[in-house]
Amino acid sequence: MTVLLARTADRLYWGARYLERAEDTARVVRAYNDLVVDYDSPEMLSWEPLAALAGSDRYVEIAEGSTGEREVLAFMLSDRSSPSSILSAVTAARSNLRTTREVLPREAWQTMNQLSQYVDATCAGAVERQLRERFLQRVIEFSRRLDGTTESTMTRSQAYHVMRLGRLIERADMTTRVLGVAAASILATEAAQRQADVREHLVIDEVRWMSILRSISALQMYQQAVRGPIDGLTVVQFLLSYSAFPRSVQGCFDEIRGVVYLLPNAERIEPSLDAAERMLVASNPDVTAGAGLDQSMEHLQAAIAELADAIHDTYVGSVL
Amino acid sequence: MDELLTENGEPRAVAGALMRLISRIGEKELRERQRIAELDILSMGITFTVYTDGENIDRAWPFDIVPRVIAGKEWDLISLGLQQRLWAINHFINDLYNDQKIIADGVFPAELLEASVNYRPWCRGITPKFGVWAHISGTDLVRDDDGQMYVLEDNLRVPSGVSYVIENRGVAKRAFGELFERQRIRPVDGYTGELNRLLTSLAPDGITEPRVAVLTPGIFNSAYFEHSFLAERMGADLVEGADLFVDDDDCVYMKTIHGAERVHVIYRRIDDMFLDPEVFLPDSMLGVPGLMRAWRAGNVGMANAPGAGVADDKVVYAWVPDIIRYYLGEEPLLANVPTYRTMYDDERKFVLDNIGDLVIKPANESGGYGIVIGSHATKEQLDEAAAAIIADPRGFVAQPILSLSTVPTLVEDGLEPRHVDLRPFILTGKYSYVTPGGLTRVALPKGSLVVNSSQGGGSKDTWIIDGEYVPLSQSQSQSQSRSQKSGNDAGNDQSQSQSQSQSEQLTPPAGSQ
Repeated sequence: MTVLLARTADRLYWGARYLERAEDTARVVRAYNDLVVDYDSPEMLSWEPLAALAGSDRYVEIAEGSTGEREVLAFMLSDRSSPSSILSAVTAARSNLRTTREVLPREAWQTMNQLSQYVDATCAGAVERQLRERFLQRVIEFSRRLDGTTESTMTRSQAYHVMRLGRLIERADMTTRVLGVAAASILATEAAQRQADVREHLVIDEVRWMSILRSISALQMYQQAVRGPIDGLTVVQFLLSYSAFPRSVQGCFDEIRGVVYLLPNAERIEPSLDAAERMLVASNPDVTAGAGLDQSMEHLQAAIAELADAIHDTYVGSVL
Repeated sequence: MDELLTENGEPRAVAGALMRLISRIGEKELRERQRIAELDILSMGITFTVYTDGENIDRAWPFDIVPRVIAGKEWDLISLGLQQRLWAINHFINDLYNDQKIIADGVFPAELLEASVNYRPWCRGITPKFGVWAHISGTDLVRDDDGQMYVLEDNLRVPSGVSYVIENRGVAKRAFGELFERQRIRPVDGYTGELNRLLTSLAPDGITEPRVAVLTPGIFNSAYFEHSFLAERMGADLVEGADLFVDDDDCVYMKTIHGAERVHVIYRRIDDMFLDPEVFLPDSMLGVPGLMRAWRAGNVGMANAPGAGVADDKVVYAWVPDIIRYYLGEEPLLANVPTYRTMYDDERKFVLDNIGDLVIKPANESGGYGIVIGSHATKEQLDEAAAAIIADPRGFVAQPILSLSTVPTLVEDGLEPRHVDLRPFILTGKYSYVTPGGLTRVALPKGSLVVNSSQGGGSKDTWIIDGEYVPLSQSQSQSQSRSQKSGNDAGNDQSQSQSQSQSEQLTPPAGSQ
């Protein structure tokens, strides 16, 4: 029987999380990029809300500094000092996976190296608009390739399951963060509207929610599931609770539950998974107002963080 | 002398096909192939670590595309010599930890053992399985101007480099695919299977499916890449000291995500002194408390055995020919470099008088550290070396300066001769095994004799070639008559039918006994 070292489990889990973080950040930036290009009205749609992806503390920090396109993009893509930049996430993924090469399929490790070399060489240039789209696309593709390689060539071992857990936890967290971006963007628009007394609210609203869906690659799936015009309420419901969609928070939770039962000591993780699901159900979907949505997502993120702690304690922290 | 070229600059017979190909494709194409090889190395993540490199702990492995070639017949003799040497050395180590007959018989001086820093008195009275202590050896060979191959040193502690032998081959196959199809170049892939077989055989008796772990000091160790490579290839667990513990039953366990799992064999890549804080350095964070207890109780096999390094000492080296004669009753098949033992008055006097013409080596350093090459040293360095010898006569040996053989190497100005050595890996257990070839290390600066990768050396693939080169025309006529193609594929070196007709002629790799 193959068994998994606790230390290796920890590195695989974090390697997978950082990869997912890099990929999801690329998706969000790509979608936001589209939105800004479509609707180039600086006072309505600044780059600032994007920084909310990195968490509210960082958002405040950025908001107080420069919030131009270049600054925010450098922060998201190529800033080594920002733990959530694509460059930092890819570097962290590689250094974690470097210590797990004996369990990782060789092909997956090679893809990791190629991604890391690509990002090292191109992330600084990708701050420019003309190179950005291609860069983001490539990051997403590398990450998908790596996932596909493990999916199609790796034994369903504990190592595989632990990597899945890392992906899913990060994915669930990212979906809540994207909704946090929505909240920040709503707040920014509300502020601008108060100042300028503009009455374009509805138009901006639909474009914004489309972009939010796109950033989770959910627009098409949403439209299949929900008929009629796009509105904030159903988008939030879809992204939180539509469990058939694999990037919805509920969808991630369901998969996490399935994976946890394949690993030892599942009963130690169950309570925090149950708690996170209760939090998801309780988060009032009628939170299209910026402040309410923002707060709801912070609660949900805290619950996911507790779930991640439980996973860590069960498999790494309290071993023996 | 050059390994590939005669004094007239003509290719040697064994290097004929290679050198013809190089001259046919020209320098531009050769450089292109070198560039692609370097890209391969980056994307395959073949790296090594340099301590002095600050942040950059993970540096691309330096590889030169021009291989070193050795004829199969010559290699077979070298291989026998290496096996003989390691059998004798293992007899010697086991004797030192048990009856010490060689000392009683006056062949090996007792005072040498007393002064040995790698002798572990704690191991007295232990006989590991098969009586073998140095299971894995990376013995350095050099060729002098006269064409004679010499053993330069025996690395019996935690020799590294074998992963690069295998990875270099992967890269070289892509660079010179056409040569691999038309020559019989012995494959090197078998090593990890042989190593796995050896390690498995060291499990405690009665264990049918032993769990093997590779014990590494961690990611900052210069050989971390190799540790993870070997674990991956053998399906073994790669563990650090903190992943293991020894329980009250004196068995070794590893910490998995569902609790403790017994470990039966440890391939340790940690130096003796760090292995077990209960026995050796008490503040070692790398080791496992109780590991030696478990090993002595026979509950875990360990390679190499703690204390094997007693024979990996540049002073003991000078006695190896006597050791071979004493235990095996045979003459050594491989030559030792003449070695002056400064612990003896007359030899020390000779060394001090001729220090500028000799290489001075500390007895117990590795990685090329502390070596003074008389002809390259300043007056101050020589004075310093002489003072060090006088202060600690047992701590040094001296050897004549060998002019290491060269291999053409792609440098800035084109192909130029650069000095090389060769490190084959020898496995010793119930049987012995020698890698076909080994790691050829090359000193990249012009005239340099320092090949260590930690000091800026590069590496080459090493080809052991059997039989005759099959000319293109001949193999092509075969492939055409089989596939009945209508000509026009002359120069298509990689046609399927041709490689099939080749593989039918291949013989199994030699080297394993």
